[in-house]
Amino acid sequence: MIEKVTKTVDTLNQAAGLKRAENRAKWVSYLFCFPAVSLMFIILLVPIFVAGVLSFTDYSLGNPDLNWLGSKNYEVIFGRSSYQKMIWATVTYVVVVVPISIGLGLGAAMLINSVGRIGELYKTIYFLPVMAALLAMALVWDLALHPTVGIVNQTLRLGCGTWIEGLFSFGWLPWVDGAQSWYSTSCADEFPLWIGDRDYAMPTICFIGIWQAFGFNMVLYLAGLTGVPRELYHAAAIDGVTNTWDQFRLVTWPMLGPTTIFVVTITSINSFKVFDTVEALTWGGPAKSTYVMMYAIFEKAVKENLVGFGSAITIVFLFFVLLITFTQRFLVEKRVHYS
Amino acid sequence: MKRIFSVIAAASISLFAATSSQAGGHAVTIEFGYPYAHLFDTTYAKIMKSFEKDHPNIKVKFRATYDDYEDATQVVLREAVSNSLPDVTMQGLNRQAIFVEKGIAKSLEPFIAKEANFAKDGYHKAMLDLGTFDGKVHGLPFSVSLPVGYYNMDLMKKAGVSKLPTNWGEVISTCKKLRAGGIKNPIFWGWNITGNWFLQSLMWSQDTPIIKDGKINLGGSAGLKALEQMKAIFDGCKMKNLKWKAALKSFSAGEIAMMYWSTSALGAVERAKGDFELKTYEYPGFKAGPLGLPAGGNSALMVSQSKDPKVLAAAWTFLKYITSGLGAAAVAETTGYMPPNKAANDIILKDFYAANPNKQTAVRQAGLLREWQAYPGDKGLAVTQVLYDAMEGILLGDHTDMKKLQAELQEEIGDMLPK
Repeated sequence: MIEKVTKTVDTLNQAAGLKRAENRAKWVSYLFCFPAVSLMFIILLVPIFVAGVLSFTDYSLGNPDLNWLGSKNYEVIFGRSSYQKMIWATVTYVVVVVPISIGLGLGAAMLINSVGRIGELYKTIYFLPVMAALLAMALVWDLALHPTVGIVNQTLRLGCGTWIEGLFSFGWLPWVDGAQSWYSTSCADEFPLWIGDRDYAMPTICFIGIWQAFGFNMVLYLAGLTGVPRELYHAAAIDGVTNTWDQFRLVTWPMLGPTTIFVVTITSINSFKVFDTVEALTWGGPAKSTYVMMYAIFEKAVKENLVGFGSAITIVFLFFVLLITFTQRFLVEKRVHYS
Repeated sequence: MKRIFSVIAAASISLFAATSSQAGGHAVTIEFGYPYAHLFDTTYAKIMKSFEKDHPNIKVKFRATYDDYEDATQVVLREAVSNSLPDVTMQGLNRQAIFVEKGIAKSLEPFIAKEANFAKDGYHKAMLDLGTFDGKVHGLPFSVSLPVGYYNMDLMKKAGVSKLPTNWGEVISTCKKLRAGGIKNPIFWGWNITGNWFLQSLMWSQDTPIIKDGKINLGGSAGLKALEQMKAIFDGCKMKNLKWKAALKSFSAGEIAMMYWSTSALGAVERAKGDFELKTYEYPGFKAGPLGLPAGGNSALMVSQSKDPKVLAAAWTFLKYITSGLGAAAVAETTGYMPPNKAANDIILKDFYAANPNKQTAVRQAGLLREWQAYPGDKGLAVTQVLYDAMEGILLGDHTDMKKLQAELQEEIGDMLPK
């Protein structure tokens, strides 16, 4: 009897010990997580929360106090024409840069993949703009795009009156009047100011954005392409898929699905964040045609000290980026079978 | 063990402090910050050489330079929040007010009161006015610039222009002559210079301030005249929308015939220009010359948080040294700015101006010095942007009705300034 009792007590004790150990392990795991979690709160979440609170105030750097404004900052963002131009400029940039830089990146990756050894050289060349600091590159572009002494307009002007003008004015096409073409009229008058001209500033900034981004996308796609097993092409060939387009459509593109989600997300977010080129080249002008959100945040919160208002634009910005990221994941992930 | 270490450390520190103060004869260290390294590095190098000789007991510690006036304001405002202000800082003339408003800049009156020969040192009223707020001097101007006309005499001669324009009507007719003479880019008028300086120059030309009693003063006839004159220059000359850096490059390359810009760029333009004859001449006015012009440049503010009277006295000594006498003369010698100090201009620099007549144009206009006005309140910098956008709109042809624009600006800016 006594034996039995001691046995039960023993098992009970054992169970309790186990439970205690389990509890301790649980606590230790929490303890181990604590630094990471607290850092995440302090570094990532608290600042967003602070920006959110400040966005409802008129806080200006260096002021001892602040006033509660309610939603007034947000009303200004969605009401004033210059901030409507801001949203318009940002969306234009994203809509132009994302598809073109992804298309070019994919194209370049496939071409490089198909050539042999010389591909390494192309890879390096296309990747150069990614390695260079965009701000430094923007300064180079600033020099190159100078309306009179810049290399772009100088080169264009050299072609005036030669066969180059004849070629690019497209006068040799029967339905085009060469003298009315962009190139010929520019030769007769003047070449554009590029970043000083409202009609050219945004396309120029977009061009630089694409120039910069597509090399990165190319590398991502190159990595993606190595993951497509050769056997699938062979299998497709057995099934009668022989031309290149069908190979791409039926094998390569679906297999690149996971890569594409990643590339689209990263490029969209990066395009939303465009800042360096605008700050170095146009300062958001002319007439707010390149007034993208990041630059607006910088102008209001940093240049003009209006921290409250800058925070409001930041929150709108964050909202846009989150919205895009979530819709993208939702829409694209549904169609990707191999992730 | 730890304790022994700290004792040794403390002892060695105090020993070191004792020896170093003995060697320097109670040296005081002050900290100092300034903007535009590319313009002023050589200036301060020159000043510090003689300062260290004259005041061996004062050590000046240079902080990282500010990129420009806006950056200077940002940095010092942040330092005020984090209690790490330098003792003396150089700020744009139009950015002084913000530091006085926020109580960061100290009044210099107590120090001036102790100076016996203050007026004799070359500080005259027009200059002190630039740094006076609420009747108290807070800043001493260090380098002052005024708008001037830069002319490419080779292009002017090519178009058959021999007389330099003295009013805007003549400027516009000269533009037409230059255009007829095949010069595609006759003019650059620096509307996009920092702090709406050129808009203020058109207002002060009529002896009218853009801010009066803390209210925006564009609503009157002077405001309308300024806007209409600006539009007449842009339209009459078919001026291109160049960024200012690009415009300076074009002028240096010999493509722009007339450039209206700050005299401060003179040194840089002279260094970069191609092979043509450059002449500077007085800034044009509405009929005859202008009645007043806004002063650009920067001034020295005392922002020290030190309670130690020795540090404050050293800061004042330094501040006075760089704004007068040899210190001020170094400004003219190394940059396109002029020292706002009479003694430096009239006596020390007499021969210098004879040898550099282009640098004297601004000095001839010195009697016209007026305040480069800041827009009061937290949204002051945002007001600068509103006016910038408006001027850009005039240049791009977005605004054609100046009366309508005038009313819009008066209302919008009126809302932004403190009531």
